[in-house]
Amino acid sequence: MKEYPSEHKKIVNELLDGKFIISPSPLFYTIQELEDEYTEFFEKSFNFKLNIEADFSYLSSNEVNEKRTRDFTLFLAILSRELDYSGKNFRDKIEVGSFDISETKELLRQSSKWEILEKTTVSEFDKFIKTWRNKNLIIINGNKFKFTKAVKLFFSFAIDIANEKLMENMG
Amino acid sequence: MIKLSGKYILKFLQNHYEFVQEAFNSSKPDFIIDNDILEKLIEEYNISNDPKISITKLIDVKFCRQLPTKDYKLDIHYTSFLQFIFDDFTLDLPQTLKDRYRTIFELFTELKTTNKPNKIIVLIQSIITVIDVFLNDIHRQTQRLLSDTESLKVNADEYSDLSKRLEKAVFWIDEYIEPLNKILEKGHPESFYSALVEIQKYTSEKQYVADSFKLKREYKKLYGSVIYARAELDHNLQKLTRELRPLLDRIKNDSIILSGFYHFVENVDYPENYIVPLPNPIKKTKGSAIFKEFHSEAEFFVDQFIYKTSDIYYEEQVEEQEWLPDSTYFKEQLLKEDKVEDFYLWCFDALKKHTDEITLSKYFSITNLLLEEDLVAEYKEDDRITIELKDASIKIPKVRVYERVSK
Repeated sequence: MKEYPSEHKKIVNELLDGKFIISPSPLFYTIQELEDEYTEFFEKSFNFKLNIEADFSYLSSNEVNEKRTRDFTLFLAILSRELDYSGKNFRDKIEVGSFDISETKELLRQSSKWEILEKTTVSEFDKFIKTWRNKNLIIINGNKFKFTKAVKLFFSFAIDIANEKLMENMG
Repeated sequence: MIKLSGKYILKFLQNHYEFVQEAFNSSKPDFIIDNDILEKLIEEYNISNDPKISITKLIDVKFCRQLPTKDYKLDIHYTSFLQFIFDDFTLDLPQTLKDRYRTIFELFTELKTTNKPNKIIVLIQSIITVIDVFLNDIHRQTQRLLSDTESLKVNADEYSDLSKRLEKAVFWIDEYIEPLNKILEKGHPESFYSALVEIQKYTSEKQYVADSFKLKREYKKLYGSVIYARAELDHNLQKLTRELRPLLDRIKNDSIILSGFYHFVENVDYPENYIVPLPNPIKKTKGSAIFKEFHSEAEFFVDQFIYKTSDIYYEEQVEEQEWLPDSTYFKEQLLKEDKVEDFYLWCFDALKKHTDEITLSKYFSITNLLLEEDLVAEYKEDDRITIELKDASIKIPKVRVYERVSK
């Protein structure tokens, strides 16, 4: 029987809970170190793909069709748009800044895209950010929240779409 | 008027400063202004200004001349001066700059080979002028690019169309910044910068060893111009590489994210149009029961099934996954109830409405709602009742559940 690292149980529990494990958590470095072993472990045991990015890690599955992930992407897209429209540097604000919960709620409600968000889980905003706090995508501190490094996953998604779109237009 | 005097021209500019600025702005970037537009500008200006202005007067002071197409072209001497006083420069294609600095090479090569003192003096003066013009060009380009980039960054109205913003940033990087960098690149043997270094080396010696005092003085002037030019270039290069390039890269990258998001939001109801699949992090795949006794009882039951054949276990896993999306629905139902006195029984009844096949795993996927943070569970009585599931019978406590009221 092979030896497991001391954090093994915690790593497995957190990842199976759908949580992102984020640097500088020691768990993240253990996963990085044992990339091959853990990739195989999750693949063989659960048929999940282990994704290790530069500073965060998470499990994914092609069989998952999560409306909540779609909702989070919508939320981030519309928040970015509103910040950009108000002349703020949206990337800096999202990657390093913090947001007042009720001000953000208000900002989204005033957006012309609110009619889309209103039909999603974002409509109950406090509940919504708590859900994503549980996945380590958001950190809540009093009446403020900020995004963790895992938010980059959704920026990459947007970049991929835009690049595909550019290719499509060129081709 | 037979001969134009400088004072007359300056007076014209001073008296009609606002008109000149209007005409300058309307004629950019090629400084050609439509016949009708010019007439309209004159008409509007004359309403509230005295002395009045007329096309004849404009032609008299050589401010503009009419083209065969009837449009008017502003005179180049005016436009260079006006660009300077309004601090509003037009962009030249880097190709134009490239052609200009090539002449420096040619003049310098000629300077090195000629022996005629008069020719040396003319060549030195020409090189000084070309360097000066070139420096001025570089300065203009940098200023213009910086102010345009700033406006690209902040002027959401004009550049609200993301793809335009992106296109503009990419265009400037490819057509201006990159070629300008090449022209100015320090290490490149054919760059303007290398030409300056060569001239500096040559003149630093010549200013002491040239044949005559007059020539020594000319070489010294060239030496001084080159040293000044290098400092100026360093300054502009710094703006280009340290400010402009990162700023444009940033606009490019940010616009890419925003346009990707834009496309996603527009197609949100048509996932097949996302082009790229959404990230698919897994949802919570398991939970642990809150009550120790219940937990161990549950584990005991689950263990029984684990010891059955692996096929059955596998099927259960699939079922569990299929059930999970529904937990949102059941939670909604639960919240509608306001308060549930017997949570486990409620779960059973709620499931019963949808299926007769209530398995342990299905039942657990709903009872896991108890772990939700916004729900409060109260457990007081020690009594247990037994519930018969399809694949197990379990003893459950009575638990009261209601929604947590947020502060």
